[in-house]
Amino acid sequence: MTEREATGTLTPQTPAPPGVPGDDRSHDNGPNSAGPHGSGRGGGPHDNGPNSGGPNSDRPHSTRSRTGRSGHRSRAGAWALPPIAVLGVIFLYPLALVVKESVTGEAGVGAYADVFASDAFTDALVTTVGIAVGATAGCVVLGFALALIVAFVPFPGSRGVAKFIDVFLSFPSFLITLALLFLYGTVGMANGMWTDVTGAAEGPFDFLTTPWGVLLAEITYFTPFVMRPLLAAFAQLDTAQLEAASSLGARPARIVRRVILPEAYPALMAGGSLVLVLCLNEFAIVLFTGAKDVVTLPMLVYSKAILESDYVSACVVATVNVVISVGLYALYRTVTARTTGAARTGTSRTGRSGRSGTPRTGRTERRGRNAGAHA
Amino acid sequence: MLVHTRKGRWTAWAVFAALFVPLFALPLLVIAVASFSTNWSGAFPSGPTTGHYAAATRGESLAALSVSLQTAVGASVLALVVGTWAALSASSLGRGGRRVLDALFMLPVAVPSVVVGLAVLVAYSQPPVLLNGTRWIVIIAHTVLVTAFAYQSVSAALTRLDPAYEQAAASLGARPWYVLWRVKVPLLLPSLTAAAGLCFALSMGELSATMMLYPPDWMPLPVQIFAATDRGSLFTGSALAVVLMVTTLLVLLAVSRIRTKASYR
Amino acid sequence: MSGAGAGTSTSAAAGTGTGAATNAAAGTGTGTGAATNAAAGTSTGTGTGAATNAAAGTGTGAATNAAAGTGTGTSTDKRKTATAGGIRFDEVTVTYGTQTVLDTFDLTVEPGEVMALLGPSGSGKTTALRAVAGFVRPASGRVWLGDRDVTDLPPYARGVGMVVQQYALFPHMRVADNVAFGLKARGTPRGEAASRVGEALEMTGMSAYARRYPRELSGGQQQRVAIARALAIRPGVLLLDEPLSALDARLRSGMLAELARLHRELPEVTVLYVTHDQVEALTLADRIAVMDSARIQGVGTPHELYRAPRDTFTASFVGNANLLPVTAASGTVRFGDIPLRVASPLPDGASATLCVRPHRVALGDTGPNVLRGTVTSVQWRGATHRVVVDVDGHEVLADCPELATPPAVGRPVAVSFAEEDGALIHD
Repeated sequence: MTEREATGTLTPQTPAPPGVPGDDRSHDNGPNSAGPHGSGRGGGPHDNGPNSGGPNSDRPHSTRSRTGRSGHRSRAGAWALPPIAVLGVIFLYPLALVVKESVTGEAGVGAYADVFASDAFTDALVTTVGIAVGATAGCVVLGFALALIVAFVPFPGSRGVAKFIDVFLSFPSFLITLALLFLYGTVGMANGMWTDVTGAAEGPFDFLTTPWGVLLAEITYFTPFVMRPLLAAFAQLDTAQLEAASSLGARPARIVRRVILPEAYPALMAGGSLVLVLCLNEFAIVLFTGAKDVVTLPMLVYSKAILESDYVSACVVATVNVVISVGLYALYRTVTARTTGAARTGTSRTGRSGRSGTPRTGRTERRGRNAGAHA
Repeated sequence: MLVHTRKGRWTAWAVFAALFVPLFALPLLVIAVASFSTNWSGAFPSGPTTGHYAAATRGESLAALSVSLQTAVGASVLALVVGTWAALSASSLGRGGRRVLDALFMLPVAVPSVVVGLAVLVAYSQPPVLLNGTRWIVIIAHTVLVTAFAYQSVSAALTRLDPAYEQAAASLGARPWYVLWRVKVPLLLPSLTAAAGLCFALSMGELSATMMLYPPDWMPLPVQIFAATDRGSLFTGSALAVVLMVTTLLVLLAVSRIRTKASYR
Repeated sequence: MSGAGAGTSTSAAAGTGTGAATNAAAGTGTGTGAATNAAAGTSTGTGTGAATNAAAGTGTGAATNAAAGTGTGTSTDKRKTATAGGIRFDEVTVTYGTQTVLDTFDLTVEPGEVMALLGPSGSGKTTALRAVAGFVRPASGRVWLGDRDVTDLPPYARGVGMVVQQYALFPHMRVADNVAFGLKARGTPRGEAASRVGEALEMTGMSAYARRYPRELSGGQQQRVAIARALAIRPGVLLLDEPLSALDARLRSGMLAELARLHRELPEVTVLYVTHDQVEALTLADRIAVMDSARIQGVGTPHELYRAPRDTFTASFVGNANLLPVTAASGTVRFGDIPLRVASPLPDGASATLCVRPHRVALGDTGPNVLRGTVTSVQWRGATHRVVVDVDGHEVLADCPELATPPAVGRPVAVSFAEEDGALIHD
């Protein structure tokens, strides 16, 4: 009955227009994952793309609108408090303490100056950013190429590849470094082959303890994070477009550049920026290489705190790392928000141009049914 | 549909195989093979043995597996409860409120795991709550790390959920709680189990934050694997890694079976 | 069984008390309710048990919700749902942001009436329906169900049945559980719920499918289940939102007859039927409200709207129409220079639009009103020929029974229509 009292006294609220792009679906710009396991990590804007409307989404004032009751809103606000409180206790408050700790040492804010001035920090910063950027570039190129083949040059078992990627994503990253030790380690497979073949005393592969080893491991581990949203985006691409393009005489390279790439761009951006953030934060891979001269920011945090018990410095480095990562992540969220908007209009545009062919209506129908089936 | 010549297709497949197999398939294979070997100094390993598994499934290693399982289950359940609750309340909020919740609950994805570990360590090593040295500090850190994925999974599923079901239920006289329990939760069950599997897998393999705060008597399997490889026992480490992978896969398989049962369409 | 029967009859009696007031106000006697009871009883009742049910169920007639009220048990709930009756929109305005999707909407649906909201997509008809269900909150104005102002009530407290285009059957429940959902949600005792589910399924001919899941049913069957689910809660008001548009054409006409039969069996249920299909509206509705651009353009019985539309939008949306600009001249009208014999109350010189239905236009110059022009196209439509004639720059359509020798395009031709077939629309 509080319901009635609450709603009775409040002025009517107007619900947001249903079906208007960017209405109640737009909050979902982050990496999504309601699909099979692992999808969350390889997320992207693919889930909230144009097909997230319900079966009635083409109807103007259909089921998408919400009640817009002020009473509901304020009560919903109250219901949000318990999980926020839990998050506050186990995460936000500890995070705030780290920032506080970083300036409560003997040097105060000066701790930052000390850390910034140290070679260890600047080296770590350069290494971290360098590896992250390199790995991201590698993942984007490799992921795009592989996803392209899986999606558009299908072979028996290409569906299995998608499954394999899911499984791959559910394994921890350090397994890759472990495997690389057997493959390219000083006594590993590659060097073993080399010595067997050439008779030399030792093989030429000795890059695992250098940044290149970390780079290779990160590219290997994070490429599926790019492939996953890309495959989802490719699945949404209207194959009739490709057929139309190739019937008009476009060569594959041109189709990729002019048709596929623009459609996949948002997914590529989303996957790429997520990988960039994850690479900046990656610790386990670096730890497992056991290289003394590859120190990234997370590694520096670990060694300051655990090995040197210098918590103030650890907190300073941690704060800097958080600022970089969260800043990039915020950028990623805004970029995906914008590009998904672009993707939506982009799709409608291509949809319109595709109307001369058969697929337009069939496609919307299929989408509607899919959405209904998911709902 | 993109490449029409037979030659072109084979080229594409060859490129794919040349990249995919050594990069993604080989590492997992190598670990599996190494776990059965005693020596790998040439091109191929030698000395086939199952001794590493014997070691990996008793004593300290078995304890580590059990610790990992308990931590993963605990963290997943907590994360699922908190994440689902948050996602459900976010879905009924206005746009602004939803943005705030999204930002708050996705923040742990952006913060480095090591920093999460450090933060939890710093916070719970001082009053009012002293948890340093207990298993709870590990479970808390894991919960923080996986809650974001639970939240994101469930809120994505909620946006896809056709509001027509909820509205049909309401028009039939069902109050919000009844709708939640009898309509929304059952319809979300596939996504909830997917989220549970994801959280479990992430927690099982978590190393970064765990390295910051695990107490000696609560050492999860990844830490054990690191300890083994760090002291040079790569083959034992491989066997432990295989145990970790197989356990994770088995649980994921079980979860996906539940999911198949729970999806009605 | 006898105890339960006694219980229901008391509640029905109590219900009639409340219902009588509503009905009296609405101008319908309780007698109608009683008469229908008999009808429903004969059609659904097979055994004695069923007969009791039917009696109880329809005794509700005027007070359907009284029975539902007893189910929930609390006195407040009884009061809340006991007031079945019509629907009244009192200057309801709904806005989405800056866009007004329903503009000072005034409409009264009498108890037991079938009102169709007919209009093109985006005309606001669905919004009006959703305002009754409680899913859209008016920016201003009130929505009444019987004598209850429900504007501020949440959807679950309104007690209206609703069927939407995509049915929204719960995929995780069997048909019987879908139908029982509303009863369980209201805490209806198990035994009564079971018999009401059986009743609703029988009424829609779905008894044989009670154990199936929705995905195992065809579209038409899902539709029936959705209707059974809405009827099981014995709503005083049934909202149907394009219920047939997801069905294919053949199934649609069958379901249309089915809906008409259901309403004959439950004549006390007020129905608001949203559709863009004029055939559905003309077939089913007691009255039609034609909507366009967030407003009502015309309200009337199907016959009135078809034979004597008051505005050009209604004229062209309900059926096909030839719309000719005319001016009034001494009791009749002129189309250009051509005098037409159509009764006109307008002052001389006033302009108006003349609506003539194409199938009332015949080829030849035998009628009282003859128009001459040139054939611009002839379309064969199986049973009919449509002849398009250009008369002084105006297109005139004539739908004729299949012609042995249709006129050739480009030839001069005369068409005619009777005096009573011209409806004058005041500008």
